[in-house]
Amino acid sequence: MKNNKRIIAVAAAFALAVPLALTGCSGDRGSGGGDTGSGFPADATVGVALPWLGTQNWAEANDMFAEQLAEAGFKPLVQQADNKVPQQQSQIEAMIEQGASVIVVGPVDGSQLGTQLEKAKEKGILIIGYDRLLENTTGVDAVVQYGSIRTGELQGQSLLEGLKELKGDGPYNIELFAGGPADPNAPNFFTGAMSVLQPKIDDGTLVVVSGQTTFEQAATLDWDNSKAQARMDTLLSGFYSDKQIDGVLSPNDGIARAILTACAQAGQDQPVVDGLDAENESIVSIWEGHQYSTTAKPTDKLVAKTIELIQAAQKGEALPEPTSSTNNGKIDVPLYELDPVIVTKANIKEVFADDPSRLELLK
Amino acid sequence: MSKENGIKGGLKQVLGGDLRQFVMVGAVIVALIIFQILNNGRMITSSNFQNIISGNAYVFTLSIGMVMVIILGQIDLSVGSVAGFVGMTVAITASEYGWPWWVATLGGLGIGALIGAWQGFWLSKMGIPGFISTLAGMMIFRGGVIWMSHSISRPAPEELSWFGAGSLPEWGPNTGLNNSTLLLGVIAIAAVVFMQLRKWKRLATAESKPPLWPVIVRLVVIVGVIGYLTYLFGSGNIGTSFPVPGLIVGFLVVIYHIITQHTRFGRHIYAVGGNKAAAALTGVNVSRTYFLAMFNMSILAAVAGIMFIGRSTAAGPSDGNSWELDAIAAVFIGGAAVSGGIGTVVATIVGGLFMAVLNNGLMLYGVSADQTQVIKGLVLLAAVAVDVLNKQQGRPSIFSRLSRKKAAPAEIPQEQIATESAA
Repeated sequence: MKNNKRIIAVAAAFALAVPLALTGCSGDRGSGGGDTGSGFPADATVGVALPWLGTQNWAEANDMFAEQLAEAGFKPLVQQADNKVPQQQSQIEAMIEQGASVIVVGPVDGSQLGTQLEKAKEKGILIIGYDRLLENTTGVDAVVQYGSIRTGELQGQSLLEGLKELKGDGPYNIELFAGGPADPNAPNFFTGAMSVLQPKIDDGTLVVVSGQTTFEQAATLDWDNSKAQARMDTLLSGFYSDKQIDGVLSPNDGIARAILTACAQAGQDQPVVDGLDAENESIVSIWEGHQYSTTAKPTDKLVAKTIELIQAAQKGEALPEPTSSTNNGKIDVPLYELDPVIVTKANIKEVFADDPSRLELLK
Repeated sequence: MSKENGIKGGLKQVLGGDLRQFVMVGAVIVALIIFQILNNGRMITSSNFQNIISGNAYVFTLSIGMVMVIILGQIDLSVGSVAGFVGMTVAITASEYGWPWWVATLGGLGIGALIGAWQGFWLSKMGIPGFISTLAGMMIFRGGVIWMSHSISRPAPEELSWFGAGSLPEWGPNTGLNNSTLLLGVIAIAAVVFMQLRKWKRLATAESKPPLWPVIVRLVVIVGVIGYLTYLFGSGNIGTSFPVPGLIVGFLVVIYHIITQHTRFGRHIYAVGGNKAAAALTGVNVSRTYFLAMFNMSILAAVAGIMFIGRSTAAGPSDGNSWELDAIAAVFIGGAAVSGGIGTVVATIVGGLFMAVLNNGLMLYGVSADQTQVIKGLVLLAAVAVDVLNKQQGRPSIFSRLSRKKAAPAEIPQEQIATESAA
């Protein structure tokens, strides 16, 4: 018993002595606040947190940010989150640690970065959402994107035009595909497209043979091309054994190509299929007359707009007038929206006139 | 113990039976120092340490349950989906049905328990291997998340952010540190010193007392580390402290360390995992052990999911994707065996910490995601390879092979030293 007490006493002495000794040498603790406004150094660190490199547009953004920020005199810190939310959270925290003055965020999921963005905001860091809205947080100063509903509208219009051009008079048999349900843009594309297509479905010009017309039914998990192809195979064998399919609404290029492959394998005539992102393979496909159209959201314009905002903030100027604003659940966020471009075989050379690497494909 | 072994013998005495664990901790410290140099001193800072802990708390939580399942020779692939499912349930019940945050949270834990009972049932009563029953669970609950959320993220109750990313309160006199963190440090040091001294006293008998000096050296090192960590976590910006999710994980580690090492259930896990037939013959209820381990895993997955939505301020349809793999990696880096029967909670946490430090350091250094993946894969392979070589029967461990060259030929065989020091 006596010994036990001695042990406790020794333990207590140890326990108290060490941290107290440490407190003796500790300095003042900061409050964590930073100054906002009034610009920052011209060679400041700019963090760019991108979701992944798995599609061409993100890989392009990755390289363009690294190059153009360096050209503009900033110190770029471009990272990719492998499409994982926790990874992106840690990357943003790491950028704060690195002393970034600006953080550009292409979110994996725009609503799940609240803690980190607010931490950055507290430090006076300028936060710009890139390509996707940053939701449910006060930690966002501006969002630069292509209007996603507008993109969907253009996709729907392009599908209608293609049907008229290639499939004679209606009614047309079509099917609908939507993007990855975890991506907040995917429902918007679909909503935009349906705002154009629904009236035509109602008046009988378009017939969705499978009857699958809701976003959930049309969605493609993780934007996975192979899942889209499997769904198209199923639709074709289930509903089109005695019918021809005329057109398919596709949310992006990868899925468009998967749909075309499925149709070819099922012995169907090539349907009219739209797309998105102007991926190289689809550009070739359009040029060769397979895919009907794609929607280009030129990455360089989006990156240029983002850097324009950063430079304004660096000089301490107010940000330029936004095109619109939207409520993200917590605050009204200024939106800088650009209009996408529909690309068909007819205008493809004009659209990519300034893009030597893509022109190269059109031979 | 043989004094003629000189420095090596002394080192062994200081490290005691936990050689492996100390090697792992050493690896973490070495990684920290390397990254500290590479990153110009941005690695070992209070805010970065806070980030590492709260950013990986969900992996640590999952890996605590996972190590128990893996010791049993099973695996649970559904934990990521279950965490996502529970997180989404909590967010939806709170944001749409207007449940108070704590009711929603308890509801989420309840769902976790139900899922655990479901998983346990298929393994223990129906005899379906865990790999398959939880692969099914992975699909079922991933689909469930997307189904009930319509793939739209939901805001998490704001109160939960304290559990997922919060700090302990500031109070009391100005010590230059966060006093809550200081208090935690004091408690941790007192507990370690008390336990080490008690262990030493138990070994001491009337005739022979083991030497006290290795205990003292060990204590000075451990206390130094805890003291330094206390300082590091406590000296961040005002309003920050040792993170709350870290505290939750610490609490879980203590509880589950005791459960696995000092209770009957814990011994049953090791017995069943080591040799199922022999365990059954000695009267261990194998089916119940399986059930409880799976049941417990899903509850911990629920805790992880809730902590995560707190930190993320929202629950998303892809929450939990591939978390099971992070947890499994932590368990194997921590030295567990695929065949079961081997592994500890503490080593698993150290394994998870190693991966977390690696990930964070590479991130700070600006290494791109693709390269980071490659490096992490190689490290996982290397860590397990070292371990496998170490454990191969009839061969000396790497540690002793390295030191054998210098040692006298008449040295005590490795096996004997291990048993002596473990005794």
